[in-house]
Amino acid sequence: MEYFDLEDPFTSLKEHQSDSISALFSSESDHMPSLNYVQCLKNNDFYVSFRQEAISLILQAQYSCNLDPFTPYLAVNYMDRFISRQEIPQGNPWVLRLLVIACISLAAKMKEIHFSSTNFQREEGFIFDAQAIQRMEFLILDALNWRMRSVTPFSFICFFISLFQLKDPPLTQALKDRATDIIFQAHNEINLIEFKPSIIAASALLLASHELFPLQFPSFETSILSCEYVNKEELLKCFNAMQEMVINEVSESIVDIGSSSNSRRTPLSVLECHCTKSESESTISTMAAASTAILPEKRETKRRKVNGFCSESNRVHISHIQQCG
Amino acid sequence: MEKYEKLEKVGEGTYGKVYKAKDKASGQLVALKKTRLEMDEEGVPPTALREVSLLQMLSQSLYVVRLLCVEHVDTNKNGGSKANLYLVFEYLDTDLKKFIDSHRKGPNPRPLSPSLIQSFLFQLCKGVAHCHSHGVLHRDLKPQNLLLDKEKGILKIADLGLGRAFTVPLKSYTHEIVTLWYRAPEVLLGSTHYSTAVDMWSVGCIFAEMVRRQALFPGDSEFQQLLHIFRLLGTPTEKQWPGVTSLKDWHVYPMWEPQNLARAVPTLSADGVDLLSQMLKYNPAERISAKAAMDHPYFDSLDKSQF
Repeated sequence: MEYFDLEDPFTSLKEHQSDSISALFSSESDHMPSLNYVQCLKNNDFYVSFRQEAISLILQAQYSCNLDPFTPYLAVNYMDRFISRQEIPQGNPWVLRLLVIACISLAAKMKEIHFSSTNFQREEGFIFDAQAIQRMEFLILDALNWRMRSVTPFSFICFFISLFQLKDPPLTQALKDRATDIIFQAHNEINLIEFKPSIIAASALLLASHELFPLQFPSFETSILSCEYVNKEELLKCFNAMQEMVINEVSESIVDIGSSSNSRRTPLSVLECHCTKSESESTISTMAAASTAILPEKRETKRRKVNGFCSESNRVHISHIQQCG
Repeated sequence: MEKYEKLEKVGEGTYGKVYKAKDKASGQLVALKKTRLEMDEEGVPPTALREVSLLQMLSQSLYVVRLLCVEHVDTNKNGGSKANLYLVFEYLDTDLKKFIDSHRKGPNPRPLSPSLIQSFLFQLCKGVAHCHSHGVLHRDLKPQNLLLDKEKGILKIADLGLGRAFTVPLKSYTHEIVTLWYRAPEVLLGSTHYSTAVDMWSVGCIFAEMVRRQALFPGDSEFQQLLHIFRLLGTPTEKQWPGVTSLKDWHVYPMWEPQNLARAVPTLSADGVDLLSQMLKYNPAERISAKAAMDHPYFDSLDKSQF
């Protein structure tokens, strides 16, 4: 019963499900990196490359130790939260490795999965003694105040899907699988770090439904927008950023063939597109209009980051993540 | 740990020593609960990690004692590594046991007021519902574990969460006998698959004790404990509780007839007796849940908006 499942962090019992949903929404912010950190990632190259390098080391561990994809996800969550509370000294490459090892070790323990840090370190050509790793584990636990049962986007997937009232299990599974893929991918996207886990989950499901079942998209959208816990403006912002992430990924694979102008094209959001068509949903269209007024400028800065970040030959790792979903 | 000044040892919790201490910087009183971590090659023990993080999550409720922070102290001697974990809780100076005792003996013995009993029971149900909604059983609810803020009239559940990694022992660290008075019949009969209903049994016993100012089933051994229960509620039958006679520690017991429960709690209202009887159902599947209990008519006269 104490086994930690990211999809159900509260190990809730059936009869109490409705209580745990509100508890999930009210505690999700405790499990996010600080806004400060998000700012750092947007303005400070050291943090951008530190994070990217750490993530690729975590993914290497996933492959060489054959970990399930949720363990590295949890490790990245711990790492983000740790860095946002604790300054990282620059110019010590071992800090990154030790932090990564300790985060994976803690995540594996939470998930009751065996992880041999010694084997992994040997492969990677460095070795820390058990004491050092243990001290690092404690540093992380202290910084995170032992809040290790992270509320992540996966915690909200089932709740949002239940709002759709789908009757077809294979369809539900397909939707869930694609949304899960998108959530894994989104974890590497600096522009998405600022969003709450529930917003990430809702956006990923909407995006997945738009790809897989465009006909049902409007009704899914309505059910998510009418959910009392969802901030519509945030959802819209997140959905746009997420869609951009997915489109960039597609268009950048085209870039390899030739036309670089493709990736510069501002994608028209599905939500906006849909909203302008639907007269009845006036609140959404107003919102969409408001957001288009705010967004263009922001988009430009975001795009620069995204491009800078992708040009550092880190593509390999990003595509790895998709496979593991 | 230099941040805290230990004032006195206030008890031996089931899993280790508890100190009253003062946060030197803020002057705030805290309860320090010391737990030893067995460290090995693998670093922080996974059970401790999972339990403490669970506790951290549960202490978000007003009706669960707040875990303020977690401090660890490690000492490395001769290559071996030891660590002590201090769980820093908010400090409350009294508990329900002391409170009931003060109403039974001392200079001014008097019953607890019906509205106070109602309020405490509601808060207890709320706290228990919170734990259960997070998939956590307390398994050792008793008046000593329910701390009170007398000024605000708030009741909080303590000594929570560490139950599963360490399993509820019969004897505590100091070999003080762990009380059986609140233990559910299925636990006493050796059932291995027990559920949230075990806590509701304890809640029922505590409810009755607030009314009576003395324990409902004060057994001093597991066998005696069962006899106390059977004498009041009747010896359970297969019809009432399917599967009871196949439980591991079931024996043939004298066949007692159930007594009138109201006579055990003479000052309790009819609604109160009904709620109590639902908390003391033999069949765990029929026992009322904490959440359902909060909607019972017994609480109709309570202003729930204050909680």
